[in-house]
Amino acid sequence: MAPKYKLTYFDARGRGEPTRLIFAAAGVEFEDNRLTFEEWPAIKPTTPMGGLPLLEVDGVTLCQSLAIARFAARDVGLAGKSNLEQAQADMFVDEISELLPKMAGLFFEKDEAVKAEKQKEVEELIVKTYTILEKLSGSAGYLVGNRLLWCDLIFFNIASNVENLKPGTVQNYPKLAKSYENVKLNSRIAAYLAKRKETPF
Amino acid sequence: MPTYKLTYFKSRGRAELARLLFAAGGVKYEDVRVEGEEWQQLKPKTPMGQLPLLEVDGVMICQSKAIARLIAKDIGMAGKTPLEQAQADMICDSLDDLGNKLMFLFTEKDENKKEEKKKEFLEKTLPPTLDLFEKLASAEGYFVGNSLTWADVNFFAFFDLMNGYIPGDHLKVYVNLNKVMGNVSSNPGIEKWLKERPESTS
Repeated sequence: MAPKYKLTYFDARGRGEPTRLIFAAAGVEFEDNRLTFEEWPAIKPTTPMGGLPLLEVDGVTLCQSLAIARFAARDVGLAGKSNLEQAQADMFVDEISELLPKMAGLFFEKDEAVKAEKQKEVEELIVKTYTILEKLSGSAGYLVGNRLLWCDLIFFNIASNVENLKPGTVQNYPKLAKSYENVKLNSRIAAYLAKRKETPF
Repeated sequence: MPTYKLTYFKSRGRAELARLLFAAGGVKYEDVRVEGEEWQQLKPKTPMGQLPLLEVDGVMICQSKAIARLIAKDIGMAGKTPLEQAQADMICDSLDDLGNKLMFLFTEKDENKKEEKKKEFLEKTLPPTLDLFEKLASAEGYFVGNSLTWADVNFFAFFDLMNGYIPGDHLKVYVNLNKVMGNVSSNPGIEKWLKERPESTS
């Protein structure tokens, strides 16, 4: 029987990885459809808002990486128990996700002088964001409540990129470091990461 | 129904969506508006040093979309199924993407460059995006299913705000989108709020 979910993205982590991590953590199978950059222009006009990722489920096509990730999280039980807990998880995800476009901008910057400027801005934003998140984070080893939720996976995804940029950053924030470690040590995630293809972004 | 206290500045901005939703749901809430010294005192006590802030049953929620989604769930306007909820999220995230393209209104200091960017936005950025939104809205004027959700209200709030900065009949040629705007503004709770809400330029 075909998997219930079909995720379409480029052959990269980028904005597709959050949902891949969510399915991995829940041990849920999905079709991991990866497009080449050459294939994309033909697909683009068939998409709801002209972008990737897409999730096809029950005949409906969803776009917007966080809408997709939130839906996946809810479907597999990683969104949060109550409306309030879900809102708290949403809050973390929205705050963390502000780092993503800035880091992407830095990654793709070709001009060395501009890159140095952007690096400085990104490092300041990382400190500002991590300080806020550390203050808000729960003390049970997870960002919200006392078990792994999708916000921990979203944080792990972006924090991994931050560690590539500046190794050791998360260790300066004890509660965030605990969440990061708990995701890394989660047996399903550890297995997923061990098999995951290396991609530049 | 929980007790709600919404705190924001003396403007519509990123809080108006929550206020519109409270109005649509007929939900009583404390509509706190701060500025200047009062804000400086409050800031360190907030989760992320930002507004809007929603306090619900003693818990503080920040981030305008997380707030709006929570209220929408409480008043039954989030979407009837998880899939509908995801479709509503999709529309709201796309509106955010469009909003990010308008940030130059606040960051561009050079008046001439600002005017150029406004022109480019209106001529090159907005129309193709509205074309996509038009296809996603139904002929009855709903983005999700066949009843009002926070996606419709968010769309209304977006243009309500944008018109303050770049006046114009931006939705003139869009039949479905005009229906969405009409469905939102004629919701009884929202209609009343629009008449009674405090005046502000933004």
